[in-house]
Amino acid sequence: MQTEATLAQSDVSELDLVKRCQDGDTEAFDELVTRYRTRVFGMIYNMVHSEQDAWDLAQESFLKAWKSIGRFRGQSSFYTWIYRIVMNVTIDWMRKKKIKGGDAEFDDAIQLREIDPASKTVPKTEALPHQAMEREEIRARIEKAIAQLSPEHRAVILMKEIDDMQYHEIAEALGCSIGTVMSRLFYARKKLQSLLRDVYENV
Amino acid sequence: MKTFEEKWTAWLDDQLSGRELSEFEASLPDKAAAQAEKVEAKKLGDLLKRELSAHPLKNEEFFSHQLRERIVQENSELRPERGRRRPTSHWWTIPRLLWAGTASLAVFLICTVLVMHQERPAEESQYLTQILNARVDPVVSPNATVSIFEVKQDHATVLWTEGLQSLPADYAAK
Repeated sequence: MQTEATLAQSDVSELDLVKRCQDGDTEAFDELVTRYRTRVFGMIYNMVHSEQDAWDLAQESFLKAWKSIGRFRGQSSFYTWIYRIVMNVTIDWMRKKKIKGGDAEFDDAIQLREIDPASKTVPKTEALPHQAMEREEIRARIEKAIAQLSPEHRAVILMKEIDDMQYHEIAEALGCSIGTVMSRLFYARKKLQSLLRDVYENV
Repeated sequence: MKTFEEKWTAWLDDQLSGRELSEFEASLPDKAAAQAEKVEAKKLGDLLKRELSAHPLKNEEFFSHQLRERIVQENSELRPERGRRRPTSHWWTIPRLLWAGTASLAVFLICTVLVMHQERPAEESQYLTQILNARVDPVVSPNATVSIFEVKQDHATVLWTEGLQSLPADYAAK
């Protein structure tokens, strides 16, 4: 799994930073946050589809990580460890908000009406206006399709497809078995294939 | 024993190999359809990766700044709380309990000894008893009075008698 840590300019090892954090060094924690904030935010955003909520949940996740850094034993990578916190925080939040997914019918007509032309979800590319709109529509379709999945199924498919995480890493992050991860992936893919077939076939 | 879903997922992700792979592919009723679905799954994965992985975190530095502020606030809230907890959480340790118990027992024993010592009647000499007996015998000494003065500082007791008609025959002053 490629993480921002591998791209980081600093040559300070992750484990050293973690040890310093465990001694109460907030600057070391700041360095870890800098390495992982974009990925953590992106993952949460793809789960909840709201920038403000994703920001708050990412803050909450890092704060929880700071409070419990003393319990990190280095048996897994820091990234997997913090992902577990992120997933707990996010899935708990979704449950409280009663975001379940899975039951609603996927409706293209509704979906197209809901696309906000002023949405800030367009990636930073030099696309032409009509291309940008097209991508925005595609992205909105994908978000709508993911919204049909349960929080656990969303987490699994996003960690596998976006973050290239291995089955055992996903299992660690979600606190479940590898078999459960594979089973959830099976159903999440089936569901998304049925909802997005026209999109990936035509793009 | 893997379920079909697990094997299918592993097969889509190219995680099956060797005998497991050949057995799974042999078990597929329509291998061409399965291959087509595998291609679809790859396309889905590519689509998700392309469209979802580019969502940026705006104001990254503000994000870190806000988090730092929250951590500082968190630490300052925790510190006095820890300070307040320390005396209560550390007072009733086992050694202190033992010391407290031992001290209480010692105080109790000292008090008991003192109280018993004070309540014990002063030892009276045999003669004093006889004299007192004689005093209370109105037949022998009807007008006798006996007074006792004790000078603790000098460890001396003065027996003052008046009106005695007789002294016991075995009387001897020490």
